[in-house]
Amino acid sequence: MRIQLALFASLSQYLPEADNGNRLSAHAQLIDLPDGSTVGQVIAALGLPDEPRIVFVNNRHAPESHVLQEGERLAVFPPVAGG
Amino acid sequence: MRTILRVNMSDLSITKEPLPEKWANYGGRALTDALVFTEVPADADPLGPDNKLVIAPGLLGGTTAPNGGRLSIGAKSPLTGGLKESNSGGTAAHALGKMGIAAIIIEGMPEKKTCCYALRLFPDGKADLVHRHDMAGLGTYETVAVAKGIEATEDRMTEKSSFLVIGPAGELGMKSAGIAVTDPMGYPNRFAGRGGLGAVMGSKGLKVIAIFDEGLRYVEHADKDAFNAAAKKFAAALREHPVSGTGLPTYGTNVLANIINESGGYPTRNFSSGQFEGVDGISGETMRAITLERGGNVKHGCHSGCVIQCSRYYVDKDGHYMTKGPEYESAWSLGANCGISDMDAVAELDRMCGDIGVDTIEMGATLAVYMDSGKIPFGDAEAAKAALAEVIKDNALGRALGDGAEATGKAYGVDRIPVVKHQAMPAYDPRPIQGIGVTYATSTQGADHTAGYSITSNVLAVGGTVDPLKPDGQAELSKGLQIATGMLDSLGLCIFVAFPVLDIPAAFEAIGEMVSAHTGQTWGADELMELGKEVLTYERIFNEHAGFTAADDRLPAYMYTEKLPPHDAVFTVSDEDLDSVHDFVAETAAKMGIS
Repeated sequence: MRIQLALFASLSQYLPEADNGNRLSAHAQLIDLPDGSTVGQVIAALGLPDEPRIVFVNNRHAPESHVLQEGERLAVFPPVAGG
Repeated sequence: MRTILRVNMSDLSITKEPLPEKWANYGGRALTDALVFTEVPADADPLGPDNKLVIAPGLLGGTTAPNGGRLSIGAKSPLTGGLKESNSGGTAAHALGKMGIAAIIIEGMPEKKTCCYALRLFPDGKADLVHRHDMAGLGTYETVAVAKGIEATEDRMTEKSSFLVIGPAGELGMKSAGIAVTDPMGYPNRFAGRGGLGAVMGSKGLKVIAIFDEGLRYVEHADKDAFNAAAKKFAAALREHPVSGTGLPTYGTNVLANIINESGGYPTRNFSSGQFEGVDGISGETMRAITLERGGNVKHGCHSGCVIQCSRYYVDKDGHYMTKGPEYESAWSLGANCGISDMDAVAELDRMCGDIGVDTIEMGATLAVYMDSGKIPFGDAEAAKAALAEVIKDNALGRALGDGAEATGKAYGVDRIPVVKHQAMPAYDPRPIQGIGVTYATSTQGADHTAGYSITSNVLAVGGTVDPLKPDGQAELSKGLQIATGMLDSLGLCIFVAFPVLDIPAAFEAIGEMVSAHTGQTWGADELMELGKEVLTYERIFNEHAGFTAADDRLPAYMYTEKLPPHDAVFTVSDEDLDSVHDFVAETAAKMGIS
């Protein structure tokens, strides 16, 4: 299955190499995953640092146990704030 | 003993008086509130002789408390009509603290409306008022340059000085006018922006407050060793937390652009969508990359003693300073909310706002409302700049824009005006982020994110989590944050310390320990929170006297009915919940003996 993956701030550097057709923006690209993959499995496969993070699936907060579906958008942030 | 400096602009007298004993533990917002509450009639004309402008460093101003150099400026607001406290960084708070000044009160009004005075405070405790007609009409940057250039011939002038200045918008009495405060490099790029306090300063005929604190020492503590130990503990917590220790110093406040956009709460084109397709162009990550490429500074503090260091300078293509790195709120208001995705265009608008001397949040919201009227298109940065340039010409368009989003919406027939208590909403749509909606609705300050920053638990997973799309728990969340913010603003602590304070118990303990060691009294959690309640009580009761009712504690009607994409969210927190936020006020007022 294919999903959108978006990584921001200090996590941007972990976006996999992609051909231009898969790159959606500076922070997002399409990736292919085995059916039934969870958020946690994607994070582990990307090698994201073992630190707190904020996860969104389709613009809502999601747990790392969430099973991803075709066409979903997964976005991961390190702890950030401002205001 | 700290003192109050009273400056009467009617007879040009300057007097010093001791800070009343009952307010001995007040600083910052608590003190500006207490003085405005006590001395300004609630029905006063905000731009008339009965209003007073009060400027106060926090209780920890002039100390080495980490991130303890925030400045409070208060008055009856010409924008909201309520008791306003606008908070700024910059170097002035510590300078005033070192002088032993608890507050400056600017009162009265000169006979001639066009008077342009500079108030000067010297290290030896002397102060004077000088007429500086040569500064009339100047932008904030030029005003500081002129002030420094001419003063430089005097013995007392040194590089180590702080300035509070207004731009032409303040002189013209525009309700969006703020007061600029110089940063450690002398740039007037920190702002007590909100609520039109620049217009109050302008109405007093005051253009500049110059503070010369060369050679002055940090203030003494009741227990120096205990204070230093607590300050060290506090600084360690600020460095340990990933937000204050890593995220903010690396990317600045604008690191929020992408995450708020991802949450669907990034107001776009006058709050008509919660996501902006051009966010990449104006995000914190992009701003950092551009600035580094051009050789700009991407990490410094806005005042001495800041360990977070979220400030930065935005430079042009040749590497020359343009403006401070636009904060998240400014990059949003002048960017996404106007449909503009070009960082250089946003920075130019930010610089213009700074120089004219207007609040970037109010002005970005105002330009977006003007765009919504169809007079100029969304996304047209050149048209936005041309419109903004009208503000200082005092024509019909300039007056409407200068008076803010509501005035502009009414003048140009726009139905959707995102304001509460006449003040424009900041960079979070309250429909998909309902906790911030509670703060916007109920804050004594009008729509103000800093008053109770519910984004913490709603979006950022700081201090626990509360589902942003549901009404449950939002009123309680906002209430706690509003009280805590009142306390931080009174101590002079930057509100970004709240991120570690909410997550690391030692950080909150350290605040009590610093205040205890400084004052020689015992300050625990209860005393700190009581201070926050007293702050809100002054503001709430003043606003009641000024005519505010529960009906003013509501969002604009369209936000209860018009769905915001992508979540198709409307605001669903009940009126009953909104009215519960200030349920402590009657009890606190009785304890304080005010009514």
